[in-house]
Amino acid sequence: MSRLCRLLGLMMVAGALLLAGCSPRSNLRSDPNAEIRFWNGFTGPDGATMEKIVKQFERETGIRVKMQIIPWGTYYDKLVLSLAYGDAPDVFICHANRIAEFARYGVFRPLDDLIAADRGFRVDDILPNIWQAGQYDGKQVGLPLDCHPQGLYYNLKLFREAGIVDAQGNPKPPETWDEFLETARKLTVDKDGDGRPDQWGFAFTWLRTNWITFISQHGGSILSEDLRRAALNQPPAVRATQQMCDIIFQHRVAPKPEGFDSWMGFRQGRVAMAIEGIYMLSSVEEQKGLEYAGAPVPSFGPKRAVWGGSHMLCMPKGISPQRAEQVWRFIRYLSDHSLDWAEGGQVPVRRSLLNEPRFRRMRVQHAFAKQLPYVVFEPASHKSTEIMPFYDAAIEAALLGIRTPQDALNEAARRIQQVLDRP
Amino acid sequence: MKALSLPAQKRHEALVGYLFIAPYLVLFVAFVLVPVVWGYFISLHNWHVLGDQKPFVGFANYRALLRDDLFGIALLNTGYFALLTVIPGNVVSLLLALGLNARIRAENVYKAVFYLPVILSVAVVAIIWRWMYSTEFGLLNYYLKLLWQMFNLPGEFQPVPWLNSPQSAMPSLALMSIWWGAGGNMLIYLAGLRGIPEEYYEAARIDGASTWGRFWHITLPLLRPSLLFCLVMSLIGSSQVFGQSYILTGGGPHYSTLTVVLYMYQTGFSLYRMGYACAVAYVMFVIVLGFTLLQFRLLSARGEE
Repeated sequence: MSRLCRLLGLMMVAGALLLAGCSPRSNLRSDPNAEIRFWNGFTGPDGATMEKIVKQFERETGIRVKMQIIPWGTYYDKLVLSLAYGDAPDVFICHANRIAEFARYGVFRPLDDLIAADRGFRVDDILPNIWQAGQYDGKQVGLPLDCHPQGLYYNLKLFREAGIVDAQGNPKPPETWDEFLETARKLTVDKDGDGRPDQWGFAFTWLRTNWITFISQHGGSILSEDLRRAALNQPPAVRATQQMCDIIFQHRVAPKPEGFDSWMGFRQGRVAMAIEGIYMLSSVEEQKGLEYAGAPVPSFGPKRAVWGGSHMLCMPKGISPQRAEQVWRFIRYLSDHSLDWAEGGQVPVRRSLLNEPRFRRMRVQHAFAKQLPYVVFEPASHKSTEIMPFYDAAIEAALLGIRTPQDALNEAARRIQQVLDRP
Repeated sequence: MKALSLPAQKRHEALVGYLFIAPYLVLFVAFVLVPVVWGYFISLHNWHVLGDQKPFVGFANYRALLRDDLFGIALLNTGYFALLTVIPGNVVSLLLALGLNARIRAENVYKAVFYLPVILSVAVVAIIWRWMYSTEFGLLNYYLKLLWQMFNLPGEFQPVPWLNSPQSAMPSLALMSIWWGAGGNMLIYLAGLRGIPEEYYEAARIDGASTWGRFWHITLPLLRPSLLFCLVMSLIGSSQVFGQSYILTGGGPHYSTLTVVLYMYQTGFSLYRMGYACAVAYVMFVIVLGFTLLQFRLLSARGEE
């Protein structure tokens, strides 16, 4: 028996050593001639756009960049493990809503000194609300490459058919709650008279982001301002959620989000309006025969607000000073060329670029960009990802009619508070 | 130091023996034994993947689990899934095996057809069934609608929201899992049936036993080893259900398909809270261990008869 124990012990040590072979080691190479390793999740047409900009940077500077595109589904797993156990890239994309979660563990190299040293770079050119989303604890840890706000996509053909046009005969997107309801009613059509509309005026696509837009417009928020208390069961958010339910159950101008692929419905012309992110642009572009346009999201409540996300460019801590300077040149270059990036269905966040004629010609991007000053992100709490499933479930329950908005949000608030109270 | 005092030849033999098992043993230790022990160690810490400090917290993770109502929901859901799959799934397998045992023509073709789903991975199965279950465009609702019209049922056909309502999501996953796994147990039952001597049935027939009587008093008792094996393996398998809800429903709608392993995965790999995830794993381990001990007890009870 003791022999067996000894053998097992030995094996365990051997096994532990084997595993230790793949754990922490200093990863960041200091060789200044080595290529810059750049990770992102741009698997769509945006990847090709990024590739072009990167190639151009290599030609102009002679610095080599190795870009690795990892599907978003597994991107953060890989990124987090590389940050924790070594082999992190020199520069990577991090979504604005996950900055706090990672920054809390000090994995980023703050950019403040590099920004200060670069006299040509003007911080005030970047929209302040989006610039701030790259900060944690007073440090700038991410530089916003873009913003992807939501906007209203609408079907031009269906608008014309329903006679929803302005004086010049151009389809007219709704701007207020009343206009929205009226428009949606006209566009909800039961062609075969079976009591179920075959064409819907509106449909909720991504429930979470649609909901954040609604509650923000009513002055509600997921967490209190100090990020310590759940606020989503407060009256403004409940009112907004009720309004979303009303669109489905009372006004009947949108389908229950139950087995109805809303976005596909919009692409196929069975849904006349949808609120989606600018990143869905390539998806409507490739839909043959779909005449669409983009507009700012209508006002559903007293405040102007719309959900958005942002791709932040970040560096890992422990990167060598020379390398950091090189990477800064690269980051700066991407930001300077964010108009090229916008072609792939994004909105630049530099005021100087937003006024360029070339950007005006990107019609949908330009329409959505008008909302940039009041874009809202998910709460900048390090528990942002953790609390997400709870409000997701509440929104789903409310919009499916499983729970009343107040009950669903109370339940979510209770769970979220548990998460917040946990150290 | 007894080991060293063995005769040289014995020692040599032992060494050769260890060498033979070494390749497997090294892998087993590195990828099973060490992670199992290490997992327990992690479960006693507040272990965020990115944290520099991973403070020791004792049994705090386990205590938190007791108060975590989502974990309770996940446990209940997993039990519900087991209830929906274990008995019905084994009934289906047994029926298939009985059919095949009737010495029908082209038996091997049927065997292959029923066994085919088993060789698919859960991802493939889930993707096929996602399309079948689609409320709008799904094959199942399409056929249901045809049936509805064929029999002129009153009212308009309402599509079944297979995966989209909290009531139907878990039964839908269970149905899919039964389709997926029935062939495996079918083969075990078939082998069991083939092992029952024909003479018993002959004798029963002479005594005037009905078909049902023969099944109840001969087939079932003699099939007991196969039955026990299949039931217990199904129970353990269904308590580890993960892929189905991970791919098809993500645990929704409204937590209705959140299973224990999915919860563990989400905690560990979306939130990077490894300590808590390991605690979930260990609680699950204890539960599955309980079932396994039960299996041993039941199987050895048979031996004493």
